Amino acid sequence: MKFRVNSITPYLLLTLMLTTFANSQQTPRITEVYLPNSPLVSFRVVVRTGSVNDPAGKEGLNALTSAMIGEGGSKSLTYQEIVSKLYPWAASIDARADKEVTTIIGEVHRDHLLAFYKIFWELIASPRFDSEDFARIKDEHLNYLKNTLRGNDDENLGKSGLNLLMYPNHPYWTVVAGTVQGLTAMTLEDVKAFHHAMYSQNRIVFGIAGGYPKEFIDQVKRDLASLPAGTSAEVSLPVASQPSGVEGMIIQKDNRATAISFGYPIDVTRADKDFYALLVANSYLGEHRTFNGVLMNHLRGDRGLNYGDYSYIENFIQDGGSTFPNPNTPRRQQFFSVWIRPVEPKNAHFAIRAAMREVQLLVDKGLTKEQFDLTRNFVVNYSKLWVQTQSRRLGYVMDSEFYGIPYYVDYVAKQLSMLTVGDVNAAIKKHLQAKNYYLSIVAKDAEPLRDSLVANAPSPIQYNNPNVPANILEQDKTIQALPVSINKEKFRIVPSSDLFEK
Amino acid sequence: MKVFFLLFLTHGTITESFIFGVMTMKSVSLFLVGFMLLSAAATVRASDGAKPNDIFPYPVTKTVLDNGLTVLTIPYDSPGLVAYYTVVRTGSRNEIEPGHTGFAHFFEHIMFRGTTKFPADKYNDVLKQLGADSNAFTTDDWTCYHVVASADALETLADLESDRFMNLKYSEEAFKTEAGAILGEYNKNYSVPFQSMFETLQNTAYTTHTYKHTTMGFLADIKDMPNQYDYSLKFFDRFYRPENCTVVVVGDVKNDDAVRIAKKYYSGWKKGTYQTEVPSEPPQKEEKIVRIPWKNKTLPYLLIGYHVPAFSDTDVERAALDILSQLVFSESSPLFQSLVIEKQKVEFVNGGADDHRDPYLFTVVTRIKDAKNIDSVRDDIYAALEKAKTVPVDAKKLQDIKSHVKYGFAMQLNKPDNVAVTVASYIAVTGNYESMNKVYALYDKVTAEDIMRAAKKYFAKENRTVVILEHEASK
Repeated sequence: MKFRVNSITPYLLLTLMLTTFANSQQTPRITEVYLPNSPLVSFRVVVRTGSVNDPAGKEGLNALTSAMIGEGGSKSLTYQEIVSKLYPWAASIDARADKEVTTIIGEVHRDHLLAFYKIFWELIASPRFDSEDFARIKDEHLNYLKNTLRGNDDENLGKSGLNLLMYPNHPYWTVVAGTVQGLTAMTLEDVKAFHHAMYSQNRIVFGIAGGYPKEFIDQVKRDLASLPAGTSAEVSLPVASQPSGVEGMIIQKDNRATAISFGYPIDVTRADKDFYALLVANSYLGEHRTFNGVLMNHLRGDRGLNYGDYSYIENFIQDGGSTFPNPNTPRRQQFFSVWIRPVEPKNAHFAIRAAMREVQLLVDKGLTKEQFDLTRNFVVNYSKLWVQTQSRRLGYVMDSEFYGIPYYVDYVAKQLSMLTVGDVNAAIKKHLQAKNYYLSIVAKDAEPLRDSLVANAPSPIQYNNPNVPANILEQDKTIQALPVSINKEKFRIVPSSDLFEK
Repeated sequence: MKVFFLLFLTHGTITESFIFGVMTMKSVSLFLVGFMLLSAAATVRASDGAKPNDIFPYPVTKTVLDNGLTVLTIPYDSPGLVAYYTVVRTGSRNEIEPGHTGFAHFFEHIMFRGTTKFPADKYNDVLKQLGADSNAFTTDDWTCYHVVASADALETLADLESDRFMNLKYSEEAFKTEAGAILGEYNKNYSVPFQSMFETLQNTAYTTHTYKHTTMGFLADIKDMPNQYDYSLKFFDRFYRPENCTVVVVGDVKNDDAVRIAKKYYSGWKKGTYQTEVPSEPPQKEEKIVRIPWKNKTLPYLLIGYHVPAFSDTDVERAALDILSQLVFSESSPLFQSLVIEKQKVEFVNGGADDHRDPYLFTVVTRIKDAKNIDSVRDDIYAALEKAKTVPVDAKKLQDIKSHVKYGFAMQLNKPDNVAVTVASYIAVTGNYESMNKVYALYDKVTAEDIMRAAKKYFAKENRTVVILEHEASK
């Protein structure tokens, strides 16, 4: 049977035809996605401050400051009072910190818009800075670093390890939560001063979507104008360092299976033409949580090595239980990465080689015309699903403004329509390589794995299934002997308890 | 209340996000036992516009095909887009034979291994052409296969989905390979303490009923899965039958089109005969306490479970337990405000009764900042439950809770996908989407006395199981 090539009929475009879609580049900056029929009103207030703005020795200050908004009181209401007021409306207020921006997210039924907004705005403009709130939140963030991340969340630990490896001497170096010593040294006065400096007109874009009355925006404008003007000076970012050979670390802790992430910085973001070529290439290699990528098909599908294997050309934080990334985590610099979900320790070395071989094949051979056509078509259609709720749509509009591009979902369709397989393969050659990586591993028995990696020892896969097809076994012979050039000087074992300390 | 924790196993991805903030409990969906529209030979069809008092605001049209397959269509304002859900009313609850726990979930994986018409790679290529978002998940009571795609792909989706539900075919080799992915899933979940805590709670609280094991299954059974190919064929034959399934289509869809397509592709599916005889759990006679020594450094966790009835849309005491969970454990409750905000003894505390087909547990979970406070936190929780037995909730608070529950429901219906999963979750446990309207009507009727009566009945010492997880070095 021959299938039509369906396209997701521009759910978004059709919707936007009914939508006022406005944003202003002058302060106060407001981005609107007006959907008059929606019963909900969604807010995304994006503040141009992130962990890059943490002062030296006070790492985690941005995240802690934002949490004083998301989990603290306001000038006129205690945290308990706010929780009690939001409760009957089932409304939410949430603060999310990231590397370059911090987003205060709210959602309410329009029945309670005005009462909700009064609380929401006061939290942003005039947090309570209560010392008890501060103690509670500081404790929570310290526990996250000392207990959750170091001890009980191997996949995020592996990814955080990759971040540490990629960005030494760079403002991206810490995890967003900061460091144990930075948080320990922090005072409430630090938080107040940081808020005063950063939550200013020049750093805020106020996003709103849904069924609000149009005149409501006048109130928002007045409130924004009451903020201090502030500065919009950005922290400058040096060129990120590149690995020489395979540099890395094995984070040692007790666990059942070995978590692996590897990658390197790339000089491409959504603002660059080549990003869209790499978007196709990456989807072919390892589209997040689908069976489209060769990584997933060959490591999990053919070999049952683990639960999943994916790749990325920008930072990717999954939105809840969905398949899509959170909006409002934009960055001026991005990285290429491969995420190998935990594998049995006996197959860890093999899995690393298998994944690196897939990158090698991509770099060496690129995509065929057929693979290109299928993958491009997928990405164009799939991109329409990134914005199924009004809040996500608003987030994507605001991210497009960050990168200085037209609305991203439309822009993907436009850029991909102009691409050729030659463009994609050229972009792969230009931006990706398969020799030099930062490699982060979380493992219990670190030393034998380190020795095996450094010695380039053969690493045959151990199957539970005795009847593996001959063609897979044949490929395995190549994979188990794949030379991986470990940089012995820059490859170490680190106890997890040593990480994120300072 | 639906408390998903680790139940959405296939979706149990842990992401890099470090999220700060307050999220009020927004998601409220309940399961109950309701009527099943039976059809002897003829197709039965019923169309419901949303009635004024219904919590669910969209019209639902229900069609039952001759073979027992139910098809629901729900129009939703999402031009060009549909969510296509297939609900199988089989979960780990149905795993009654020793040595075969985890099979409902394993089967969820196997269903992506293809058919003669659409081998796995071709199946995936078609979905890729569509740009569809496709996945599946399993719980104690049901398995769900879901796709969000272009509305004009509806017929293609029906072709793909009906084919694998009717004609699944996989080799023993593919089966063994997939067992590796299951073990990988168990292993990835293992680094987070919740998996061990719920494994222990269920295994301790239950002696007989299949809720004794989690949806993932016992580790020994997972390790033995590669040897169970023949059993897998039996499992498919038993449960992947039309009378056990419902297709829910939400979004830009016309009912007549959906029914015509469903008849075309699903009519050849033969009814089954298998009935699961799940053993009943006898009443618990005494309190059970278990400690889990944890190798990695962690704050201590306390997990408490009380046996409570299966979900019901007619039993006001069962509905009262859901209202009670808000009264005692929501962020606006005195217990939360005391333990989290004022005394700052715990990072979080929450509690509720996850909706199940059979009697499950009302669970309370908290993470305690200092091991020396485990006993006092436990006592504070017990005191809050004791208070619920004797002190009536004031009228304003009860009104606030009912308002929260209603707005929470309305706010979660923000895309076709969420509408579909909400409706599906009721069908899964009761067989009837109307259960959601009935139970919300029941919530409205819950009184202060109902809450106290339910609290007295179920929050008894002998009815509870306590799990304490602590870093092994602290003991």
